Amino acid sequence: MLKIIIPTIMLIPLTWMSKPNMIWINTTTYGLLISLISLSYLNQPNDNTLNSSLMFFSDSLSAPLLALTTWLLPLMLMASQHHLSKEPLTRKKLYISMLILLQLFLIMTFTASELIFFYILFEATLIPTLIIITRWGNQTERLNAGLYFLFYTLMGSLPLLVALLYIHNFMGSLNFLMIQYWIQPLPNSWSNIFLWLACMMAFMVKMPLYGLHLWLPKAHVEAPIAGSMVLAAVLLKLGGYGMMRITTLLNPLTNFMAYPFMMLSLWGMIMTSSICLRQTDLKSLIAYSSVSHMALVIVAVLIQTPWSYMGATALMIAHGLTSSMLFCLANSNYERIHSRTMILARGLQTLLPLMAAWWLLASLTNLALPPTINLIGELFVVMSSFSWSNITIILMGINIIITALYSLYMLITTQRGKYSHHIKNIKPSFTRENALMTLHLLPLLLLSLNPKIILGPIY
Amino acid sequence: MNMFSSCMITALVILTLPIITSSTKLYKNKLYPYYVKTATSYAFMISMIPTMMFIYSGQETIISNWHWMTIQTMKLSMSFKLDYFSMIFVPVALFVTWSIMEFSMWYMHSDPYINRFFKYLLLFLITMMVLVTANNMFQLFIGWEGVGIMSFLLIGWWYGRTDANTAALQAVLYNRIGDVGFIMAMAWFLLNLNTWDLQQIFITTNDNFNLPLLGLLLAATGKSAQFGLHPWLPSAMEGPTPVSALLHSSTMVVAGVFLLIRFHPLMEHNQTIQTLTLCLGAITTLLTAICALTQNDIKKIVAFSTSSQLGLMMVTIGINQPYLAFLHICTHAFFKAMLFMCSGSIIHSLNDEQDIRKMGGLFKVLPFTTTSLIIGSLALTGMPFLTGFYSKDLIIESANTSNTNAWALLITLVATSLTAAYSTRIMFFALLGQPRFSPMILINENNPLLINSIKRLLIGSVFAGYIISHSITPTTIPQMTMPHYLKMTALAVTILGFILALELNLTTQGLKFNYPSNYFKFSSLLGYYPTIMHRLTPKTSLTISQKSASMLLDSIWLENILPKSISYFQMKSSTLISNQKGLIKLYFLSFMLTMILSLLILNYHG
Repeated sequence: MLKIIIPTIMLIPLTWMSKPNMIWINTTTYGLLISLISLSYLNQPNDNTLNSSLMFFSDSLSAPLLALTTWLLPLMLMASQHHLSKEPLTRKKLYISMLILLQLFLIMTFTASELIFFYILFEATLIPTLIIITRWGNQTERLNAGLYFLFYTLMGSLPLLVALLYIHNFMGSLNFLMIQYWIQPLPNSWSNIFLWLACMMAFMVKMPLYGLHLWLPKAHVEAPIAGSMVLAAVLLKLGGYGMMRITTLLNPLTNFMAYPFMMLSLWGMIMTSSICLRQTDLKSLIAYSSVSHMALVIVAVLIQTPWSYMGATALMIAHGLTSSMLFCLANSNYERIHSRTMILARGLQTLLPLMAAWWLLASLTNLALPPTINLIGELFVVMSSFSWSNITIILMGINIIITALYSLYMLITTQRGKYSHHIKNIKPSFTRENALMTLHLLPLLLLSLNPKIILGPIY
Repeated sequence: MNMFSSCMITALVILTLPIITSSTKLYKNKLYPYYVKTATSYAFMISMIPTMMFIYSGQETIISNWHWMTIQTMKLSMSFKLDYFSMIFVPVALFVTWSIMEFSMWYMHSDPYINRFFKYLLLFLITMMVLVTANNMFQLFIGWEGVGIMSFLLIGWWYGRTDANTAALQAVLYNRIGDVGFIMAMAWFLLNLNTWDLQQIFITTNDNFNLPLLGLLLAATGKSAQFGLHPWLPSAMEGPTPVSALLHSSTMVVAGVFLLIRFHPLMEHNQTIQTLTLCLGAITTLLTAICALTQNDIKKIVAFSTSSQLGLMMVTIGINQPYLAFLHICTHAFFKAMLFMCSGSIIHSLNDEQDIRKMGGLFKVLPFTTTSLIIGSLALTGMPFLTGFYSKDLIIESANTSNTNAWALLITLVATSLTAAYSTRIMFFALLGQPRFSPMILINENNPLLINSIKRLLIGSVFAGYIISHSITPTTIPQMTMPHYLKMTALAVTILGFILALELNLTTQGLKFNYPSNYFKFSSLLGYYPTIMHRLTPKTSLTISQKSASMLLDSIWLENILPKSISYFQMKSSTLISNQKGLIKLYFLSFMLTMILSLLILNYHG
């Protein structure tokens, strides 16, 4: 794993020593090279894991997320160029360093083999994210958003630390690879119920579960483009990843503890997607759509069947790329219109036809058009929830309809119709932006040719 | 080694060629529409070879070529089913599309994005081929969703128009409701039969297929615009006329019926679902026929008649005659596409005038279009020995002789008679009588692109029914013998409709205007269905999402319960407990006193 971690660390001196006009291109290129290394982990020749050292390992669950993380850094760098063009050089370098630091923490989080190490890094990712949101956000509300972000996630995850210490005490180890052989079924008692809650709530807040999701729209809306991208694409997936890792410890309590959370997610998925229907703010709409998609992942993880795990993993990767692309598109609108309000950006198809094509493709992947991996994820989740209880198909069906509605509502409002006069002399779309969209879309399309590499460990 | 499957694959591959070339310079070329049209015509001719072979030998094939993935016990691979239904439907669809593409070269010639339009049409055709030839449900779903999205793009072709956008969104929404049923069926099959392959589904037995069949029926309702989910079809007329001709008459909208035909082996012995299908189809065919009676937009009339015919196909499935439903799909494609093209010709000639009250007397200025329109309408009503007769007459006969719901049968018969009535209305108002359009318009239909394309379908509308029903043996045997009066029913009700409509239309001339009756309002307002469903449902759901989901839950309750209340209680308790009251002067004074005291004490300590 060091062959990813060390180059990532070395990106920081690269940033600080590059010539002023080379900082973006250098970091982007090297970031892309690093992401190529991470692709090799997608090939998992063994049935279980690739152990790199005592501290790091990767298996077919973490490898796609790892690849997603490393893939996203160059994309974030490409997306933020315009946003930072007015900033002084030192701040640009600081910003890039923050992104690199975040990537470093994320890589180590996804590959950590020790639970406590995982926990520390899980918390460490908050720091660069918080700095990115509160330092480079666009409005004063960013401070409030940072506060919400920090407190929700910290409050959720502190009990996890206690729970981990307790587990370490009676198990003797917190190594992922070992505890799955040592684990005893937890007896049903009040203290174990609290143990379950402590273990799961950290990740439920991170996902976020409906009811604990308030930090997410705020953070997404106020964060600069790279912050929104990495939040939607990777940080939310930390929750899903953590849940899938830790549920092995918590059997058989999950069987009945899952009910309230399942209900909350199924209900929240419809609520959040119907909130999307009433959004006027583009970024807020995409943020709420993330909440609704992540609710599907929560449902899938709590069902705990092979199909649902496959669906959850596929949906996480697919949603990572799709929502990140949608944020990029929203940002390219924002850079031209200087407003996130959708109605001000209407009729853009006439002016920016290629951008409209990206919008179309992004909306179609968001509403899970077959045969994209979004559909594979959603379909598997729907299948497993149908087998869990037939009635859930009603809720899932309503969600499918509303998802299609708001995706196309977003597309029609921003791209179709007559353009308004204040956008007559906007800049054309840059090659940088088109390349950015292509790099989002390419993995989505290529993965739908061979989805089994992102189907996770059960495949 | 015979050429059966390889010819079929060749035909399908040919269709993809213009899509591939669209990334090259050819796409910038003015001739791109021509390439697309030619590719479609070649695909049609090549696909005729396996169809002829099928007609001759009756062999059915399954091609299974690319293994996509195996998920635990389920294998998913790309496979095509070349059986009775796909082998007949593929050439029909290709033939109709070929003509429509030629027609759109004329209709869309002034559009700056005509190349893109052709690419969309071709993409739609490809997804339709995928749908028809799919051998597993996943592949079927790809085609199913693909045609839905392509219809979204094509209906919203003139994206500057608000109406076009809402119509496109409406189409996707109603289709999406149907998709839920499809997904439910997929989930059920996966769960209970562990397969999505069609032939495996058909050989496995299960006592209760109600749930998946209900799902499939819902899917068909959405796609084929049956009652409840029907309003999108007339709204879709906002799209360009070639789109209406291709998607909303002959191919996409029949996909729902096609799906039920595909899954007919499961429906065969399920009385509940059959009754449901029958009643649904009957209600649809009557309601939409009634709506068609008072419309003034020529395209809307044809659209409602399509909806009505789709209802008739559903009725046919409901009386357990999938073969006849399929035959009606094929014959209907010819004359309905032609009717749309004729109305397109009229609309284009009259400078985009769609109102039949402003037409009249077109038989003098548009003789060819008039001829085709009349033949198409006659074929639609089931005039003996035209194409429609061979399927429609059989359907009515089987319905008459089958042991079924008398109400549904009666409703269907009324709708059949109404078909004649609204067809007469189009002919009477648009073609006959005095011209009511502006005399300044230059009308010229002598364009080979227009004439040839309509002519080809015209020949199809006259002979296709005979050829298809003559050369192919039915899979389910229709009723052979019946009394005279039942044999003549279909013809009698149609003629009745003709005569009534003609008389009524004649009486409209020279009479004074009456305030419209309630029956008239019911028909012209489309049975009040859109008024209720398109106002009430969106309003309530959007209000709920705004007021309860967004405002009440997200902005007030969740905000207050966690963050706001925590910070409030922290603030209160800290002010309550702390002895800090903000008396800075006093604090500093005491601080200073202590400092001075301690200094003094330290200094004088020793």
